[in-house]
Amino acid sequence: MAEQFKIAVIGSGPAGLSAAARAAELGLSHVLLEAEAHLSNTIYRYQKGKYVMAEPSILPLRSPVSFAAGKREQILEKWNQETGGLKVNQRLRSEVTALSGTRGDFTIKIGDGSVINAEHVVLAIGMQGNIRKLGCPGEDAEFVQYQLDDPDEYQDETIIIVGAGDAAIENAIALSDHNKVIIINRRDEFDRAKAANNAAILKAIADGRIQCFYNSGPRTAEDQAERRPRGLMVLNTASGEVHLPCDRVIARLGATPPRKFVESCGVKFPTPDPTSLPAVSGTYESNVPGLHIIGALAGFPLIKQAMNQGYEVVEFILGNNVEPADEPLLRSKFGSLPGFTSVDAALELVQQRVPVLAPLTRLQLREFLLDSEVRTPPHGETIFERNDYSDSFYSIVDGQVEIELAASDHSHVVTLGPSEFFGEMSLISGRRRSATVRAGHACVLVETPRRSMNKLIYSVPAVKRVVDEAFLRRAILANIAPDAPAAAVAELVSSASVLAFKPGETLFREGEPGDCLHLIRKGSVTISRHMDNREVVLAYVPAGQYVGEMALVSNLPRSGTATAAVASETIRIEGAAFKALLARMPEVKERVEERYRSRLARNVSALQQPERGGIIGFLMAQGVGEATDVLLIDESLCVRCDQCEKACTDTHGGVSRLNRQAGPTFENLHVPTSCRHCEHPHCMKDCPPDAIKRAPNGEVFISDSCIGCGNCQRNCPYGVIQMGVESKTKPSLWRWMLFGGREPGVDSHHHPSGTPKKAAKCDMCKGLPGGPACVRACPTGAARRVSPEQFLRVARKE
Amino acid sequence: MPAEIRLMPTGAVHEGFLAYRGFRYLKLASLLCVLAVVAYWWHSPAGGPNGGTWLGYTLGTVGALLIVWLTWLGRRKRNYASNLGTVRGWLSAHVYLGLSLVTIVTLHTGFHFGWNIHSLSFVLMLLVIASGIYGVVAYARYPSMITENRDQGTREAWLAELDELNEQSLKLADTLDAQVHQVIVRSIDRIRIGGSLRAQLFGPREPVRAAFEQLRQELSETTSFMASQVRPMRTTPSIAPDTSSTVMFLAGQLAGNAQNNENAQKLLDLVARRRDLTGRINRDIRLHAQMQIWLYFHVPLTFALLAALLAHILSVFIYW
Repeated sequence: MAEQFKIAVIGSGPAGLSAAARAAELGLSHVLLEAEAHLSNTIYRYQKGKYVMAEPSILPLRSPVSFAAGKREQILEKWNQETGGLKVNQRLRSEVTALSGTRGDFTIKIGDGSVINAEHVVLAIGMQGNIRKLGCPGEDAEFVQYQLDDPDEYQDETIIIVGAGDAAIENAIALSDHNKVIIINRRDEFDRAKAANNAAILKAIADGRIQCFYNSGPRTAEDQAERRPRGLMVLNTASGEVHLPCDRVIARLGATPPRKFVESCGVKFPTPDPTSLPAVSGTYESNVPGLHIIGALAGFPLIKQAMNQGYEVVEFILGNNVEPADEPLLRSKFGSLPGFTSVDAALELVQQRVPVLAPLTRLQLREFLLDSEVRTPPHGETIFERNDYSDSFYSIVDGQVEIELAASDHSHVVTLGPSEFFGEMSLISGRRRSATVRAGHACVLVETPRRSMNKLIYSVPAVKRVVDEAFLRRAILANIAPDAPAAAVAELVSSASVLAFKPGETLFREGEPGDCLHLIRKGSVTISRHMDNREVVLAYVPAGQYVGEMALVSNLPRSGTATAAVASETIRIEGAAFKALLARMPEVKERVEERYRSRLARNVSALQQPERGGIIGFLMAQGVGEATDVLLIDESLCVRCDQCEKACTDTHGGVSRLNRQAGPTFENLHVPTSCRHCEHPHCMKDCPPDAIKRAPNGEVFISDSCIGCGNCQRNCPYGVIQMGVESKTKPSLWRWMLFGGREPGVDSHHHPSGTPKKAAKCDMCKGLPGGPACVRACPTGAARRVSPEQFLRVARKE
Repeated sequence: MPAEIRLMPTGAVHEGFLAYRGFRYLKLASLLCVLAVVAYWWHSPAGGPNGGTWLGYTLGTVGALLIVWLTWLGRRKRNYASNLGTVRGWLSAHVYLGLSLVTIVTLHTGFHFGWNIHSLSFVLMLLVIASGIYGVVAYARYPSMITENRDQGTREAWLAELDELNEQSLKLADTLDAQVHQVIVRSIDRIRIGGSLRAQLFGPREPVRAAFEQLRQELSETTSFMASQVRPMRTTPSIAPDTSSTVMFLAGQLAGNAQNNENAQKLLDLVARRRDLTGRINRDIRLHAQMQIWLYFHVPLTFALLAALLAHILSVFIYW
């Protein structure tokens, strides 16, 4: 007989815990289901002693369970105490395997075979997914673990690591110092791991420090409680069964993303994109009536937001209309709006006036506007300047804006009115603003930061379509035919399509017939030609420019190969449509031909110095193709004094964001480990408090709201982000010179233990007058910051 | 078009401190020298040129102020947040104006020298300038040599590899015999990295070559009883020519017992690679030491100069 509850909460993270606690507080019949053996697994899996922050600080907490910034252990202990005090009906080790039904009648199947019925379900399983287990008998044995906190905890043991990803390799290598380590790889290679980890594990295996079983999988894990060692792992290998006695098995097999399970419950995801999240209503209800989704899975990754939602969702289920916790924040935001009455009325107005926001649910809109700013600039105020590096997106609620398309010609102005938007060019390309925008009469704008806009684009397909179309039209206007009549542009637009290229993929090859033009909308492209049995790089073409016009103008086959230097997107314009435009508009034809001639001349000069292609190729291989500003060191000038590093340390609270010595060198050109301020920064990808921003001059920096989660450090492919404690005081130069002690520019490492670490990366010294301290402190001129436009000059050794 | 945007000031992307802003400070320093020479040539005081004439005092004051300002570079370069020019600009000015002191101060002396505090200051100044000239030459010469020697490696990586080679060679030696093992242990003990100032500047006195030689001896003794089946030997290109002949000799000694033979060869390969690596690391240390050594004279001599200069000025005002 299945048990019956009013509310079933699935997942015991901050959101689920808070919901169950509220239900318990109100005396409702409820159950809290958790797959693991402890509450709040994501936070449980944080490393020991990790400091958990409570962002955003302005948001009030509304939950029967308390939460304040502090150590992982304190927070978990408090939650355990408080849920115990409230008599929350929790069931650990109860993984939900299936969920079906609708409001009033849900059936929940648990992994152990039992079944639960519930009237309402709150899904709060987060985004981490369930850890993949060994998948063989004994996977839950005591000597089998799925996590490693501190490798130094284990000494002189025989440890079997199962898995071939980065986590498995890092654990295996860390443990191999003091233990006998055996690694089990299902396949015959470690190529899913990062290159450095792959090399390290192969080396450790070759040196005999780690034993490896390739093409092998676990068959059983037997617990022999009375024996030493207590574990026995039986493997299926290519050459038969192998018995391995061991003290411990650590399986690092990753996690299954929750999407599949959520979809099996009947919940729809708007797009196939992996970042897409299910849409929920203002009361957190999904498209399945009675099934509520809260927390990270609904798009709210911060602990405090999630806990507030846990409280609210229970109130909503009871039919109480609670004022959302963000209501006062929105009220203060809209206060400046002319004719403001209530938040709801203002939301209604925005949704009416801004068609691009029309497809949003009320909750999505609230979240969207909470991140956004309402701006009412006076007539004539500059909203952004051409060549600014800002990347926010603007929707026009009321009034007008004037866009100056040409830098030289101030009369060439386009006016946009309500229901339109601007700023999508920099949002997509990651490049500088292509035009200056000024406020017109009675202008009311909603300015949305890059991350919120991208989130919207990825979760609401209608928004993506509208923004893409506008980009296409405007890019063609700006880059190819500024004065073309609407009809001619429309023809080009209809022939155009957006293509995506992986790094190293070719757009077209030398010798192919030229049938199209590529306008690069994101990323960058190198042009190379085959000479003396090798590819010689002739040019580097950044986003915002086009390639492939040469073959169209000359009617000859492609004269070079175009290769994506980084992940890139291009707008492909059909050759026939382009040629038709040229035939119709002689001034466009003239400009394109002019460009053709200058490119031809440049290619000829490039071919005369093939060695410079080597440098461009080297820079591209270092990922400089996606950089907007990179530190390069000319080693023929560098006297290894480390002034650059010391200057960085001294000007940034004792934490250097630069490692001069590390990094590759080609001829005399050295690319040190230091931020490149990528066009589409990898570090921004998954920052829960959205603390990583781009400043108008292009600096990608981390603001004070960093919670120290380390996501950016892991996401940066160039390893330029450190976790550190910045010191507030600066050592005195005179005191050091006269009496010794702390030296300016030397990393001190002296801070009270337990001080929370935050992410630190290069901010190009945006707070300092005079520019980056590393360059200003270099005595010989070896260190220079270089933007992509200057790579060719570096290559020519000018 | 975005490609035409130039936000950075024009000027070469990598321009050294000597060529800073089209040799601005070379021009300034030359002008200063020319002015001083012309004034000296034109000025003919009653008692012959000396430091006590109005021109002598002027040149002396300019020289003293320059010396104090030149010393200030040590302060400026540590003031990392300072926006007062760039350190490169300061260094450029430091070099050229420092050189101009030779002219200015020599003219200030009026070519009167003696065994006194005044001439001591002058000599100290010349020594500071001489060490500085070495510095300029070293800064032009060594950076490229270091890069070339580095060949993509880093010192940390080399040291890690060295440790590993030691470990591997011990393991291999275990499979041979006790004596070889002992030699390897001793040779590991004898590896010299860096060391005293002398060793850093000119390389360690006892290079690993001696250990290599001894190992070769031991190996040839322990394996000489084996038959003479010569196998082609893989040699590391960086082995010095004299040792490659010993390696070939040794190869001739190795044979028979395939396992031992192979291990002995591997061991020799390892040790040769280790020698190459130790050589590289020591060369790296040597190049760095030779590039930086002048600072250890330049800075203390500067302070000695400042003291002597103070004494010179005081004594002039008190006793003249």
